Amino acid sequence: MLAKRRKETFNHLIFVYMLFLILGCGPGNSDENMLRIGLMEEPRTTNIWLASDTNSRKVLSLIYQPLYTYDPDTLELVPWLAAAMPQFDPETISYTVALRHAKWSDGTPVTADDVVFTVDLIRRFKVPRYFSQWQFVEKTVAVDDTTVRFFLSEPRAIFLTKTLVNYIVPKSQWAPIAQQAENTKKPLVALLNAKISSPMGSGPYVIEQWRQGAFLHLINNPHFFGKNLVISNRRLGPYADSILFKIYSTADVAILALKRNAVDYFWWPIQPGYIDGLRGNENTKVYLSDRSALYYMGFNVRHAPFSDPAIRRAVSFLIDKEFIIERVLQGFAAPMDSIVPSENTFWHADGLPRYGRGMTRSDRIKAAYRLLSEGGYTWDRPPVNDAGSVVSPSRIILPDGQPMADFAILTPPADYDPARATCGVIIQEWLKDLGLPASARPMSFGALLQRIKDRHDFETFILGYGQLSLDPDYLRNFFHSANDRPGGWNMSGYRNPVFDRLADESGKAMDPSRRRYLVNDMQRIIMADVPYIPLYNPVAIEAVNTNRFAHWEQMIDGIGNIWSICRVRPQTRQAARDIDN
Amino acid sequence: MNLKRMIFKRSIEILVVFFIILTGLFVLFHLAPGDPVSMMVDLTMTPEDVDRLVQQLGLDRPLWTQYLLYLKNFFRGNFGTSFHYGRPVIEIISERLPATILLFTTATILAAMAGVWCGKLIAWHKGGPLDATVTIFSLLCSTLFLPWIALLSIWFFAFRVGWFPLSGMITPEIWVLPNLGFWAKATDILHHLLLPLLTLCIVNTGAYLLIMRSSMLETIKEDYIITARAKGLTEKQVRNHHAAPNAALPVITSVGLSLAFSVNGGALTETVFSWPGIGRELIFAVSNSDYPLAMASFMFIALVVLVANLIVDILYAYLDPRIRY
Repeated sequence: MLAKRRKETFNHLIFVYMLFLILGCGPGNSDENMLRIGLMEEPRTTNIWLASDTNSRKVLSLIYQPLYTYDPDTLELVPWLAAAMPQFDPETISYTVALRHAKWSDGTPVTADDVVFTVDLIRRFKVPRYFSQWQFVEKTVAVDDTTVRFFLSEPRAIFLTKTLVNYIVPKSQWAPIAQQAENTKKPLVALLNAKISSPMGSGPYVIEQWRQGAFLHLINNPHFFGKNLVISNRRLGPYADSILFKIYSTADVAILALKRNAVDYFWWPIQPGYIDGLRGNENTKVYLSDRSALYYMGFNVRHAPFSDPAIRRAVSFLIDKEFIIERVLQGFAAPMDSIVPSENTFWHADGLPRYGRGMTRSDRIKAAYRLLSEGGYTWDRPPVNDAGSVVSPSRIILPDGQPMADFAILTPPADYDPARATCGVIIQEWLKDLGLPASARPMSFGALLQRIKDRHDFETFILGYGQLSLDPDYLRNFFHSANDRPGGWNMSGYRNPVFDRLADESGKAMDPSRRRYLVNDMQRIIMADVPYIPLYNPVAIEAVNTNRFAHWEQMIDGIGNIWSICRVRPQTRQAARDIDN
Repeated sequence: MNLKRMIFKRSIEILVVFFIILTGLFVLFHLAPGDPVSMMVDLTMTPEDVDRLVQQLGLDRPLWTQYLLYLKNFFRGNFGTSFHYGRPVIEIISERLPATILLFTTATILAAMAGVWCGKLIAWHKGGPLDATVTIFSLLCSTLFLPWIALLSIWFFAFRVGWFPLSGMITPEIWVLPNLGFWAKATDILHHLLLPLLTLCIVNTGAYLLIMRSSMLETIKEDYIITARAKGLTEKQVRNHHAAPNAALPVITSVGLSLAFSVNGGALTETVFSWPGIGRELIFAVSNSDYPLAMASFMFIALVVLVANLIVDILYAYLDPRIRY
């Protein structure tokens, strides 16, 4: 009897405890000035030199700051840590940059010495990702506490657009680490593996707490130089007291969190399929932004059959970009006619060949057929019969009389990127309309890169760059013959002395309008030879919860940028009053 | 063979198997296409950057040199540094392991307990409506696609009804508060644990239940059950004290191995619930060719599974006096 009663009491206790758990723990009442941002994955590191994943870089971009950044409206360079635009001296090929009176998060001033140290560290350790952008800077001199002068070994256009937008690190924190690393057998690895639990920066936030696997909490940097400053006609905050990064490993759950007010912004591009649900929810708002991205089909032009521009042009005619965008990407992308996205208005060239845009399927096949026939290609049964109708063709025969061998369109697997994998299958079918024996072959991303970039063992592939820099220097990377080597970025093996000359010249052109002219010419050459067929530039789809914060800054690539972080304001009356006071 | 000799012999076997796994892992990871540096590249990285990094990480050395170095470091207890985290892998594993053990071990134990209990009950009522209903339900549950049921349970219990948190192991908004007490932390973790636990139990209980049921059906045909009944024992006593303990042996094997494999976590479960366990790290390490992290994780799992096998064998001998090695 006693045992039975004990058992009953125990059961009741369990029940009450469960009830308490379920009802007593809400989603957590957060501070109304705390901005909650959802991430898809946890940042891997707070070491700026090691950070290769996007999430680490997102967090670190709020801590470390560059000398210059891009204006969200015009995409022109604007002074950030610098006080004014750099002064160029053509005689000495040097730039002089004056710094603002900024401070590190420990209250010590940001000095020209810190800039000199940062450049020196990158050059001394040859830090991957950074070294290539600083290696032509021969000497960096601190003229005084707030003036620094960069001497270039030769004029380089990317100095303004890429080099000066790199982050500056504090000498006081990194000098001892660098010294220690230099005394090891592998200095670079020692530097990359240095543990920086509390990175000292000059940005709007600093790390307060990082609970690995759960969250990352950033608080206001009281010494942020931008507080109440007006840059690019925007008064900077930040107005959120702190930022809480929460990890949602699936977009499904992150979207539910947005709708349920558990997170204010999900810092990750979301799939078009979520848009209707988000637009139907009164608490959420969807932002659609242009991106600087490139998704393309590439050819191995080192050998036949794709060494012949005629066959590459013919394939360009066969690919219906509008169809891909409408059916695969549900309309959330723009068709591309150049390697430089049209959203990059300053550098994008107009009037380039559009290869079949607006044509019907049969007109595309006829145009491609015409091109190939003129190039000496034949068929036992041609794709266009004597009556001028499109028919199912036999395998294409190359100008040397040999039937074309089967070839693969290599793509990333569907779980990595369903759009590119689907494009491979669709293009394979289109190519068969012309008797081109293609088959789509999705493969793991690592293996794909190794085959294309290192071994050059491929015929065609579909790849993409999700975030191209605004500077078009990547044209040189992709197509300059000097980069046609194992591991080089000229994966197609494109070689054209005229293009090389233009690329070299544009790399040294310091006058933007002259450089623009050269870059336009480079685009024309590429789109005539089509070693790459640009396919589409997806739209960045992002969503926010509108209950607590407003005033997100939309620019190219979305609302996840330093301007938003410095401008976003709490919505509640009390919080707004606190800011006004 | 007595028990001590058996344990000694099995331990030697475990060491040999472990060494083979160690070598197999090394070969598999290094021969697989893709390398850690190629996964790190972006447009700002030149081939010279890649070469420098490869050289500094020691990946340019001949494979056998790397293998010998790997063995040397392993036996010195140095499992390497993650290429992506820049931290010792042992630190990362020990950080993630408690979360995995908490969720998956608890789920395995609870599911096994529920499965054994229900299995013995329905086997006793074989052929009745309860047996038919529960068996069909168990079959259904054990064939459910876990991420689907997990998402469904999040949508209903966390999003629509609001009984549970949407994801994660803790509520960051609560944990950032200063001076948060132990009980508040424990309660918060428990609250987050309930939904994934419930989902895992729904899927896993069915399998244990079916094993227990079929084992019970075999056991109740045994002579000693008839003897127990002839002694005048109640049905409950016969079921609980004579049939169930003997029928539970196959379940023990299954639970033992499941417990061992629970340290591996479940990549899909952990991903859907944003549970900060080792399963997600394993997927990341493999897909990004983070050799040190991936190899150390697999070695750890292999070791736990091998030891668990040994423990199950010992338990068998202990629980069933008829079994001798």
